[in-house]
Amino acid sequence: MSAREAILARVRRAAGAADAAAVEARLAGGQAAPVPRQGQAAGAARVEQFIAKARTADATVARLATPDELPKALAEELRARNLPAAIRTGADPLFDRDWGGIERSQGIGRLDEPATLSRAQMAMAETGTLLLASGAENPVTLTFLGETHFVVVMAADIHAGFEDMWAAWRARGLDPRTVNLVTGPSRSADIGQMLQLGAHGPVALHIFVVG
Amino acid sequence: MHEATTPDFKANVRAALANKNIQAALGNAQAGFVAKRAKARAGLPEFDDIRDAARDLKNHVLANLADYLERYEAKVLAAGGHVHWAETAEDAQAIVLDICRAAGAKTVNKGKSMISEECAINDFLEEHGIRAQETDLGEYIIQLRHETPSHIIAPAIHVTVPEVEAEFRKAHTHLDPARNLSQMPDLLAEARGVLREKYFAAEVGITGANMLIAETGQSVIVTNEGNGDLSQSLPRVHIVMASLEKIVPTLEDASTILRVLARSATGQEITVYTTFSSGPRRAGDPDGPEEYHVVLLDNGRTNMLGTEFQEMLRCIRCGACMNHCPVYQSVGGHAYGWVYPGPMGAVLTPSLIGVEKGGQLPNASTFCGRCEAVCPMRIPLPKMMRHWREREFEKNLTPSAVRWGLAAWRIVAGRPWAFRLVTGVAAFGLRLAARGRGRLATLPLGGGWTGHRDFPAPQGRTFQSQWRGQNQWRGRR
Repeated sequence: MSAREAILARVRRAAGAADAAAVEARLAGGQAAPVPRQGQAAGAARVEQFIAKARTADATVARLATPDELPKALAEELRARNLPAAIRTGADPLFDRDWGGIERSQGIGRLDEPATLSRAQMAMAETGTLLLASGAENPVTLTFLGETHFVVVMAADIHAGFEDMWAAWRARGLDPRTVNLVTGPSRSADIGQMLQLGAHGPVALHIFVVG
Repeated sequence: MHEATTPDFKANVRAALANKNIQAALGNAQAGFVAKRAKARAGLPEFDDIRDAARDLKNHVLANLADYLERYEAKVLAAGGHVHWAETAEDAQAIVLDICRAAGAKTVNKGKSMISEECAINDFLEEHGIRAQETDLGEYIIQLRHETPSHIIAPAIHVTVPEVEAEFRKAHTHLDPARNLSQMPDLLAEARGVLREKYFAAEVGITGANMLIAETGQSVIVTNEGNGDLSQSLPRVHIVMASLEKIVPTLEDASTILRVLARSATGQEITVYTTFSSGPRRAGDPDGPEEYHVVLLDNGRTNMLGTEFQEMLRCIRCGACMNHCPVYQSVGGHAYGWVYPGPMGAVLTPSLIGVEKGGQLPNASTFCGRCEAVCPMRIPLPKMMRHWREREFEKNLTPSAVRWGLAAWRIVAGRPWAFRLVTGVAAFGLRLAARGRGRLATLPLGGGWTGHRDFPAPQGRTFQSQWRGQNQWRGRR
């Protein structure tokens, strides 16, 4: 008997007969866990809550009216942070534009990556969290190798909490290799139990909320 | 392989109590964890209701575990991944080694994984000529020190800042010996730089899994540093090491657990990174691993199903029980002698390595109940420790002095007149012995207490006689 069969047989012996109908119902969305009020913000308050929560998690946030404002806003951020006028992005069509004085390169993350730019497919106000799906448009390594990570999210893609975000996510029918929920820049308290930003991932996370 | 020193628990405890570094580090850290969790809990009014839902969802999974495992496996296969079933830690070692060899791996990068600790995978790979590189900062520090984690979410909690500096100077000999490492940010920047290069060198990346989602076939990791993501995104092969009770049905169920996990662990509403991974990179993906393997470990867990220890399989490894435990706070994690410390370790260790080796751990409890009070999954830890004490007693593993003591206690406690007599004499005698100072510096048979603190002397009458007096007074009114 293979390990697989032996393990499954032991589980079935110990747990008794499974309730196949209950399993089906659960997988079809039959759970009834409480949704906290924190995950139910609506309208303008939702975007406000997202921004406030992201800032609590040490991200910085700016609002733009349209994507056309992106090159100018990014150039100002790079200058203010003493970063070179260069950005690494994926192939998202949103980034096919005239970047003015910024040198845009396209591809995966490299060893030294001062500034990267990604597009979050979604976000949620519950905890100020971005959702980034991997793929050619958004290489996953850009999210973790950029020293400063810039992320664009459309205000219309900001959801209240996990429940409505997952429903919208399923509706898009995507199947990426990784879905990254990102809340603030990376951090560690492993040295002297003192929280410091910038462990292995980005030292800074800047979010452009568009629209 | 790190042999379990759990059978030497008492000696370990004595050493830990005498170790000033451990005592200083524990004091600072514990207070921080407790305060942060309390604040996070206060910030979510629905916290306790979500705990109930998390408990119920895990009970549902455990009642239907075989079905969920099969569905999860089917999803992983459909995404182009591989699932390997491992009965024991040794089986898991062999599976991982085979995958590494097939990948031609010289170096394996590791995200933080308690299951890989349980399987002692680092030492095993090293024995077979493959370098296993820890990338979580805390795990990296203890790997340099050739130690095991002393806390499940803060593995280097016992290491002081000067000790970190000393290890870095010893290990990073390619850097300028005159460099300044006096500040904590210097140490973090150095670790970041050194490990950044190692990420690109490895052929295989190993991570753990906080959850496995049956609906989607995804493994979930929860981190703050980003090391787990670099460990799984840059190498050609990604291996997930997970125990089989980590299954949850859906994304929403995973979210219910996420809502209590970080709040209970570090007091965050959510960790910086929560990553859902399934299968290898998709067609057209420019990065991500080309192979995805899941090693599903049993290692004694299925034997807990259907027993009084089944509820332990709800554990999500947040560490709240140890953060709130007066015993852990006093002795730290290494004294427990194996992978899992604190109250969750006191229940899980005997289940996984046997009550013969791990039976002393459940005895190291005051049964104050804080662990159960803070457990996000509402696991009745004190009750299960009591079950282990019973098993230890039944198996005749309890020392004879303790057995005699318990037998004597039983005789006295079962006879009210004897109990009144003995406690009355003891209260009177101890009061005399204290000679009006109210406390005792030594106590016959009580050296374990008075060696560290004075024993408060009884003030005269026993509780029972005072209680009776009060009731009579009430009756008169």
